[in-house]
Amino acid sequence: MFWHNFKYSLKTLFKNKPLIFWTFAFPLIMATLFNMAFSNIENQEKMDIIDIAIINNSEWNDNEIYKNSFDVLSSDDNEERIFNIDYVNAQKASELLEAGSIAGYIELIDEEPVLTFNTNGLDQTIIKLVTEEIRQTESVIKNLSEEEIQKEITSGNYNIDYESIHNKVVELTKEDNVRLKDISNSNLSYTMIEFYTLIAMTCLYGGILSMTAINESLPNMSNKGKRISISPTKKRTIIFSSLFASFIVQLVGLSLLFIYTIFALKINYGNNIGFIILLSIMGSLAGLSLGTFIGSIFKANENTKTGILIATTMFGCFLSGMMGITMKYIVDKNIPIINKLNPASMITDGFYSLYYYGDNLDRYWFNIISLLIFSAILIIISYIFLRRQKYDSI
Amino acid sequence: MIVFKTFLKVLRKNLPIVILYTTILLVFGISNMSTSENNMNFVASKPNIYIVNNDKSDGITKNLIDYISNNTNVINIENNEEKINDALFYRDVNYVIYIPKNYNNDFMAGKNPEIKIKSLNDYGANLTEMLLERYIQVAGIYRKSIIDENELILKINDTLKNDVKVNITSKLDTNSLDKASYYYSFASYSILACLILVICLILSSFNEEKIRKRTIISSTNYKKHNRILLLANFCYAFILWSLYVIVSFILVGKIMFSSYGLLYMLNSFIFTICATTIALLVGSLITNKGAINGIVNVIALGSSFLCGAFVPMELLPDSILKIAHILPTYYFIKTNEILKTLEIVEFNSLKPIFLNMLIIICFSIIFIILSNIVSKKKRKIA
Amino acid sequence: MSNIIEVKNLVKQYKEITAVDNLTFDVKKGEVLGLLGPNGSGKTTAINCILSLLNFNEGSIKIFGKEMNHDSYDLKKDIGVVFQEVSVFDELTVYDNIDYFCGLYISDKNQRKKYVEDAISLVGLNDFKKFYPKKLSGGLLRRLNIACGIAHKPKLIFLDEPTVAVDPQSRNNILDGIKHLRDNGATIVYTTHYMEEVELLCDRIIILDKGKILATGTTDKLKSLANIEEKITIEINELDINYLEKIKEFKNVDDAAYNGNSLVITYKKGKNNLLEIMEYMKKENIKYSKIFSERPTLNDVFLELTGKELRD
Repeated sequence: MFWHNFKYSLKTLFKNKPLIFWTFAFPLIMATLFNMAFSNIENQEKMDIIDIAIINNSEWNDNEIYKNSFDVLSSDDNEERIFNIDYVNAQKASELLEAGSIAGYIELIDEEPVLTFNTNGLDQTIIKLVTEEIRQTESVIKNLSEEEIQKEITSGNYNIDYESIHNKVVELTKEDNVRLKDISNSNLSYTMIEFYTLIAMTCLYGGILSMTAINESLPNMSNKGKRISISPTKKRTIIFSSLFASFIVQLVGLSLLFIYTIFALKINYGNNIGFIILLSIMGSLAGLSLGTFIGSIFKANENTKTGILIATTMFGCFLSGMMGITMKYIVDKNIPIINKLNPASMITDGFYSLYYYGDNLDRYWFNIISLLIFSAILIIISYIFLRRQKYDSI
Repeated sequence: MIVFKTFLKVLRKNLPIVILYTTILLVFGISNMSTSENNMNFVASKPNIYIVNNDKSDGITKNLIDYISNNTNVINIENNEEKINDALFYRDVNYVIYIPKNYNNDFMAGKNPEIKIKSLNDYGANLTEMLLERYIQVAGIYRKSIIDENELILKINDTLKNDVKVNITSKLDTNSLDKASYYYSFASYSILACLILVICLILSSFNEEKIRKRTIISSTNYKKHNRILLLANFCYAFILWSLYVIVSFILVGKIMFSSYGLLYMLNSFIFTICATTIALLVGSLITNKGAINGIVNVIALGSSFLCGAFVPMELLPDSILKIAHILPTYYFIKTNEILKTLEIVEFNSLKPIFLNMLIIICFSIIFIILSNIVSKKKRKIA
Repeated sequence: MSNIIEVKNLVKQYKEITAVDNLTFDVKKGEVLGLLGPNGSGKTTAINCILSLLNFNEGSIKIFGKEMNHDSYDLKKDIGVVFQEVSVFDELTVYDNIDYFCGLYISDKNQRKKYVEDAISLVGLNDFKKFYPKKLSGGLLRRLNIACGIAHKPKLIFLDEPTVAVDPQSRNNILDGIKHLRDNGATIVYTTHYMEEVELLCDRIIILDKGKILATGTTDKLKSLANIEEKITIEINELDINYLEKIKEFKNVDDAAYNGNSLVITYKKGKNNLLEIMEYMKKENIKYSKIFSERPTLNDVFLELTGKELRD
């Protein structure tokens, strides 16, 4: 009996076009859109070469420190090149700025650099910082040189070799005193979160499948349910086998999404493919129990139930960062309890912890267990409701 | 009149959908508008950082922290490695500095201690790194000749306070314009989704085989009937547009009362008309009510993703933007982007904007012609 | 043999409405029982209670001599139900639908295959096995609905208005099928609006209204319940009101009514009623086109009992 119902449940679910659209096609479409829209974001985060202009007056050309520094910073040979410089006159510079083809221009007035920008921005901040650095280096050289000279004078040496002191000080400033060590985790690509929320959405949308399966088995929800109710088959058998079938369909949809994103979109989910599969299955289980729950405790027509399920899922995904990843973080940081109860967040966070924290699996297991508890609670409540065999009205 | 009334009745039945979509979309829009500031929006010039200080001494360490703090936003998070990592991943901080134990003493002893950092390697992180490196560099140079810690700190601060004079030429309220552009670009999604969904649902009710037969055989002129239906749809679109404009006044504020505001409104109005024609075309093509939801999501989400309603246009790959040229949403959002940095409002500078609007109008005309062809073909019941 | 169904003092209340009010009846083996009543009279509710789909407030229900409960699987095995609404899967073909529902009763594959084929032939869907329900016409869909309910060859069959909105051809097919089931020894509970069907199929009839039994018995017995023996209808274009009053005073006449083109006279009893009225018309020189006499129908019985038409 179990397999008889199972076979036909599979058939009806696969034939149900709207269901298949939402659980199979829609995630694939979203994945494609995500991939198109986000593929460039992180490259943009890295520093670009900034276009600037410098007013090419005699004061500039006489000031070696500024001139040399900017030459180095804009040299093609320099791997850490920051600027692309146009040497122009004042009028041309302000035209370029107006047209938006440069981020700003620099002019030396009375040995002090003056920056002109159109607006404030990161490029502008960088220009400012670099210029400041040069100015400060200049000041360091001046200070140190003065000190050296002072020393010479106090030691009674009036025959000062300015040239050599200057060179000595400049050498001093060129020494690298900075020792930084980057200990960031390597996986920092946050577009991954978008794909995680997408998987979470697919898992939870799978609830539509189990909800449909429940609806088709309940006499107060569908006529087919009536037929099943008057047959000599145990309702429990029917429901378990229908749910099992919906779970299988859900897993097929999920596998399609994985295959498509891994092979067509070249998404890298990291190395822990076993854990990823386990998490997806747990996520699907949560989706299944959500669908079962909504299917069995609400006494409403199928459209309303679908509406409730989709709204719940979308809201959960929104909180877990589907429409902008910061959302998940804001919730985690300020009202963590919400995301501890939100299955979409449990799934997303599980993936995130795998991807980002790699070998440390504590957080991953915490999410897996949360999903299990979530599913268990919903299924127990549903079971209590489903145990009712007769109805006051159909 | 009776057609109009019926339209309103069917609309009222679908009102929960409109309310649901509008609220959800507005919630998404508003929250994204406020959360995006430290993330997508690159205008904020101070990077966000976090400092883990394992050295409790006063001198150089404190001075270093003071210097970095003055030039960045130090974000307040729990001092917990997991929380720090989360903050980094979610771009809450760009850069984390770990000051080692005994840094002060080691530095003064010339040991040149190593500082651990975590970096996003983005603009903000690079800016912070520049600040950090500069401080250490300057301090390192002076330390070789100055032994007294207090004198050293004075010297460092004296040098580092040399800043550069900056002139800002623009008088634009870039912050408000950014907000307005973001809002209107995001609204393209809401407008498309709400219009297509509801108009399709209503049209499919009117176009249902039996009802259509009744209409055709009734004494009302079928053409007139369709014209009224069209008018009703445009009225609905107008109301929806007004709603979004009102919301924009509330959210964005003052700038909406300027000529910029007028341009935003005009642009979105033209886009609303275009969206209505898309809805009419889709409505005349779809016969299956169950398919409407799916199609709406694909069209609305698709064009919003491809044209930069969710992800700013400048961050989209060029290839995607090329594809986006075939969608009217692209020209709508492009105009919003132009408005954001438009210095002077005069005929010449507005030319590209008017061109975009013209293109959107052309799209609308094409959609109207197409939906006419489709519905003519369907006029006779097969 | 004993009773297949025994219903005693069944009461079912929906909030303030009493849908089934102290219903007591039984169904004997091999008989076809007609449940007759207007919409909302409690027919379907009664059946749902009997099938243990609905909770009821009072009373007891026995099927095959045993208490019927939601877990009486041994009883359910021998029951088949054809619901009023078409209850099939849109996503499954005709064959698959029947196979699915049959499979809920019969696990043996080979036996099931035969049963499904039998059911398909019975309702005449042989040419449509691979069709999806959406492609079937209303009549064929009804036939599929029946096949799904009876494929497992039940001993007791409930048919809840199986011929509603069906074309004549399908209707005949369905009625033939039901006769066939009856001839094979099944006990049938049949609800319908159509008098002809009841008169054609049913051995015994229960008339329900507002959840109560108004009358029960064979067709003839019920007809005799009605206070009329004969009904004469005469098509007349114009009739003076005075003649109508006169006719009403005739011997045996129960009532007479004229509605603009036909005169209907009902008689309590008597033999030469037709002759008498024809002579009267001739005498008074009343012109008429057609005249015919009928025995009362169940509809008249129903009208007599409840004061309203059976069919809305």
